[in-house]
Amino acid sequence: MRTGIVIGATVALLALVLILGAGDDGGPNAYVVIGIATGAIYGLVALGLVLVYKGSRVFNFAQGEFGTVAAFTVFVLMEQVRSVDIPYWAALPAGLLVAVALGLAMERVVVRPLMNSPRITLLVATIAFALLTVGVEIVLFLPEAKVLEPLIAATDASGNPNGVEIFNYILEPQNIIIVGVLALLAVVLGYFFSKTDLGLAVLATSQDSFATRVVGIGVERTSRFIWGTAAFLGGLAGILYVPISGSLTPGAMTSGILIPAFTAAVLGGMTSLPGAFLGGIVIGCVQSLANWAGNTYTLTIDDVVKPLQSIIPGLPDVAIIIVLLLVLLIRPQGLLGSEA
Amino acid sequence: MTASATEVMEAPGPTLEAERWSPSAGGWTARLLVLAAIFGGVIWVTAIVPNYWADRISLAAIFAIIGLSLNIVLGYVGQVSLGHHGFVGIAAFVAAYYATEKAGCSLDACSFGTFMTATVVAALSGAVVAMLLGLIALRIKGLYLALITLAYGFVAERSIFEIPFLTRGGAGMPATRPDGWGTDREFAFLCFFFLAAVIFVDWRLLRSKVGRAILAIKHSESVASTYGVNVTSYKVLAFILSGIFAGIAGSLLAFRAETVVSNDFNFAIALLWVLMVVVGGLGNRVGVIIGSAFFALFPFLIVLIGPLDHFIRDTLGREPDYFTIVIGSALAILTIIQYPGGIGEQVSPITRWLGGKRFSLHAEGHGGHKPKEAKAAKPATGGLLAKVGLHNEDGTERSDEALAALGRAVERPASHDPGPPPDVWGALVGGKKKGDER
Repeated sequence: MRTGIVIGATVALLALVLILGAGDDGGPNAYVVIGIATGAIYGLVALGLVLVYKGSRVFNFAQGEFGTVAAFTVFVLMEQVRSVDIPYWAALPAGLLVAVALGLAMERVVVRPLMNSPRITLLVATIAFALLTVGVEIVLFLPEAKVLEPLIAATDASGNPNGVEIFNYILEPQNIIIVGVLALLAVVLGYFFSKTDLGLAVLATSQDSFATRVVGIGVERTSRFIWGTAAFLGGLAGILYVPISGSLTPGAMTSGILIPAFTAAVLGGMTSLPGAFLGGIVIGCVQSLANWAGNTYTLTIDDVVKPLQSIIPGLPDVAIIIVLLLVLLIRPQGLLGSEA
Repeated sequence: MTASATEVMEAPGPTLEAERWSPSAGGWTARLLVLAAIFGGVIWVTAIVPNYWADRISLAAIFAIIGLSLNIVLGYVGQVSLGHHGFVGIAAFVAAYYATEKAGCSLDACSFGTFMTATVVAALSGAVVAMLLGLIALRIKGLYLALITLAYGFVAERSIFEIPFLTRGGAGMPATRPDGWGTDREFAFLCFFFLAAVIFVDWRLLRSKVGRAILAIKHSESVASTYGVNVTSYKVLAFILSGIFAGIAGSLLAFRAETVVSNDFNFAIALLWVLMVVVGGLGNRVGVIIGSAFFALFPFLIVLIGPLDHFIRDTLGREPDYFTIVIGSALAILTIIQYPGGIGEQVSPITRWLGGKRFSLHAEGHGGHKPKEAKAAKPATGGLLAKVGLHNEDGTERSDEALAALGRAVERPASHDPGPPPDVWGALVGGKKKGDER
């Protein structure tokens, strides 16, 4: 019920922006489209964060790195293995597999020994694991930018764009794939957690691991499952996002993505999978619209007309943090959060 | 807390130790000699090494200040700050801005007075930004506060460090080293001076009413407030103090680099700072200093081992710097899972001995190589901190446990049985793990 109202209100709000900006060249329309496209990635990473939070009650700082590792695996298989020509459809599952393996390793090495420690301890441990991964990436691949090809090339052989044009903004095929994957995952995972036995076992573990053990549910198994799935989602986000971000560097999915994704998860309620989806889209649009406002509106200082963006550098990122602060101070349970 | 209560609470600590055992005149001399050897050794090494090394040693001293700053938030208050690069970076820019734009330092001359004023201004700016975060920390705790600090660092990185008049349009704000302290070696000694000042303030403060109040708040906010501790102001005060230390460190970093650029202060370095405090040992001053210096000097330790350096640079084609993150974070994971006391706990036999306690395995003092044999036999008591803990203002049941432990210690015959001391620290603070409200 509430989910429907909140989603409906958000969609109506975005539609309002689109209608008001229609026909206005340089208006906010294209920015909303960009916002939805980038927001989908935040949502995808946020899904993983929410999943881990539901299962282990901790913020997983390594969530972004699952993606970077998967992207690096695909990169190595496609670009650096010269003897065999590995196609994308084979490299992608391999990348996901490596991400899942990393997630399981992290669960075994870091999470399980600290299962009963204070959550802050586990938080610092996930930070250490994320930095360890970034460090290994730096040692292996040097701190240089690399390029990963998208699933479907952005331009065809003759140089024409492959994507769909919406409001004068050409949406790359990769963007459409991301939005589709995110929507599908949110529905599938939502079903999983409300209807299946394993899903309910995961929820039970997160609420009281001792009681869960008493009724005969393998806590270790659900924990493994949670971290494996989260790593899968993170890996998917990395492989899908890195090609449109343009560069693959060590820590690529942590430096710019993790904080907006956390904001999206908190906005969605930290425990709600549809909330993470919605939060991602909203945060993407907030960021993009702040960018638009920063470029459009001007202030006159000392008789010089300056765009807002140059007076407040990094305005889109500041907008995200303002949302985070407001949510935490005013509505800590988020849009769709509940204790489950 | 009344005066009489203070006396009652304070009485057991020092007197108990004094009655049990106290080093002879020779023992004290040996301790003083070892202390002098340690401090003299550090200064001597700084004085004779090449300039390039002295530069790195000054970084180690600055990292130690940052470590102590984080230690207040992480070890004493029990909250995680992932945005310390914000504190340090803003202070660095403020110091450089003041020195170059306001006090008119040129690129080759800057008076010592200007440097000191710039450092004070930087410390104040650090205090202000930390106070804002402290006010937020009153309402949001635990994991969510960690997120807020992270977001705060993100804003600093993406917005504040990009303000054109601070960064000179991205080129960096110059900060000329003060006259007379211009070389790397001289500057390293200047950093030592500030580190000593910070250690002194941290030490005295933790043993004062303020320090006891802050530790009591970490232990339990509600109990502390019941005993009349003003939780709100002490918590904010702890953040302000952390900000002041971070501000000093920021100013030193600015003058060390001589040009402040925003790239120096990023998300990864803030996380590394948190890990170095964890590796050093939360709430353990000596451990934090050693841990921070280790993280700063790590690439140098590789260079010291010639064949390893050769292997990394020439065979692998990698910089030793790259391995700081790998080894540092691996150490942090190991510390969290296996040795929660960190380096501080490993060296605690030495620090306790230097503090005038009995050394269980090696009674005669010749510093250096003892901890290897000693650490297995030594329980994690932490004499200094235990004494501090004794002065806690709260009177919870854990305190009663601690008093009971003390009681047992008093009953035990003093002269023989140097066996494991009672776990006073554990009983008082409730384990070595970081506090969490959840």
